[in-house]
Amino acid sequence: MTSSETTMHSSDTGTAAGKVLLKAERLERKFGGLTAVADFSFELREGEILGLIGPNGAGKSTTFNLISGFMPPTSGQLFFLDENITSKNATYISRKGLIRTFQHESLLSEMSVADNIIIATTHRLKTTAARQEKMRKIAGLTGLENYLDVPAGSLPHGLQRMLSIAIALAAEPKVLCLDEPLTGLQGVEVSAALDLFEMIRSKLGITILLVEHNMRAVMRICDRILVLNHGRLLAAGTPEEVSQNELVIEAYLGHKK
Amino acid sequence: MLRSNPGLALCILIALAAICFALFSGDPYYVQVVIWVFANAVLAVTLRFVLLIGELNIATAAFFGIGAYATAVASTIYDLPFFISLLAAPVIAGLVSALFGWITLRTKGPYFLLISFAFTEIVRLFYTKSEFLGGNSGMIGMFPPMVLNDYYPAIAITLLAAILFGLYLTERSNLGRVFKAIQNNEDIPRSVGLNVIGLKILCFVIASTAVGLAGGVHAYTNSVIAPADFTFFVAVLALAYVKIGGEGHIIGPIIGAATLTLAGQFLHSFGPYENIFYGAIIIGVLLLMPGGIIGLGKGFIGSSTVRRDPH
Repeated sequence: MTSSETTMHSSDTGTAAGKVLLKAERLERKFGGLTAVADFSFELREGEILGLIGPNGAGKSTTFNLISGFMPPTSGQLFFLDENITSKNATYISRKGLIRTFQHESLLSEMSVADNIIIATTHRLKTTAARQEKMRKIAGLTGLENYLDVPAGSLPHGLQRMLSIAIALAAEPKVLCLDEPLTGLQGVEVSAALDLFEMIRSKLGITILLVEHNMRAVMRICDRILVLNHGRLLAAGTPEEVSQNELVIEAYLGHKK
Repeated sequence: MLRSNPGLALCILIALAAICFALFSGDPYYVQVVIWVFANAVLAVTLRFVLLIGELNIATAAFFGIGAYATAVASTIYDLPFFISLLAAPVIAGLVSALFGWITLRTKGPYFLLISFAFTEIVRLFYTKSEFLGGNSGMIGMFPPMVLNDYYPAIAITLLAAILFGLYLTERSNLGRVFKAIQNNEDIPRSVGLNVIGLKILCFVIASTAVGLAGGVHAYTNSVIAPADFTFFVAVLALAYVKIGGEGHIIGPIIGAATLTLAGQFLHSFGPYENIFYGAIIIGVLLLMPGGIIGLGKGFIGSSTVRRDPH
């Protein structure tokens, strides 16, 4: 199967017939002579958890920067909620409801957990009381309610990952883009995080785009998976399809002799 | 608010005492010194206010001057009434800073510092080359109206104290929290729908408007202003106030400004050697008490003056 066949195949195998929230058309990003992402098209449909995987340097984080407006694409088009957002900045896109998290401990490390979450409510909620209420609710959902006064930088690693998700949730996303949210988590923490993602999708009605290296977790939770390699879409489909795709196996494990 | 915050109550009492001193003291020199303390406190606090978003704003000296010149022009050239001339200071400083900030706050790294330094010197050279503004000798003749003359020092101190209080309240509000977030990691506020550049400009405009008003007050206090009053050295001294008082809390620069301004009155007697003492004090403080004076006080008085925002 070639990659183009896989792409076509995936377009009719998605989960529910949810409407397309986010659509990328022939997305490309170059850094000088290096092409980080090329000819990358995909659709994210309402209510799904879409995985984006690939070896290191495959262009996953660049893709996140492009769709969240942190970096303009060199060429290609992006549509979010039926609007062309290709040339929009990060502030505009996040206000429209596409919220991304960051890899590693990208937090307001010197500020308290409560302040981290309140900052994220600032744009949507205008009164102190409403922000406090929202902050407490989100802290409860993410297991941070007992750490509200702790500086974010002093939290244990697992809770820092939770806080970055809490910040994103507090901004009331329609689409939540999680950049390697499971990195460095222990077994129990991974399960708890996956339960949280499932809850975010089913109870809060938020669609999720997930970049993650933990294959077992990705296979377990995602409805569909996109595989990037060298900045190009290598394969797309359900977890079963992708895990049996020879190109994918080759990209991760190398050539079969 | 006051009951739960004895530090704030004390500051308000001190400001009221200073106003009473200005009203009832017979010694104009000491009243003048008190006004200097408050004006220097505003310079230091506005410098620190822009530090909240992580930018070192040398142009705080320029906007102090722009406010002073705006008031001087309004009052001596256009003969506008006292309060309107005074109002010209924050308005002009605010407008110029909005344009300046809109252009310069998009830079990253040390560029804003360098541009703000250059701007301060350019504005000063502009004064010296403008006949209209009195060239090198500056402008003269800004007097409060006769009926207010006896009360002017009290009015000046009230206005300067009000600026400090306003900046304190702004820092404690959610806006202050957002400014600190931008300094801490601007990707986070940007990722949750906040317009980071717009907020940086807002922070800068608030500080410049505040220091502009202080410049207007300064013009009426001195009655004489000259380009040499508004060199980048004004901002360097303001930075010294911030560092000596401590930058962890707004009270730090106020304490720093009071300490150095009062010490300055004593050090004047050393004539040309005065600046050596300033230098020695600054180096000594930076080496021995990196948290400034409030950093020392923290251990003794706990969290009552250096407190985190309550949630």
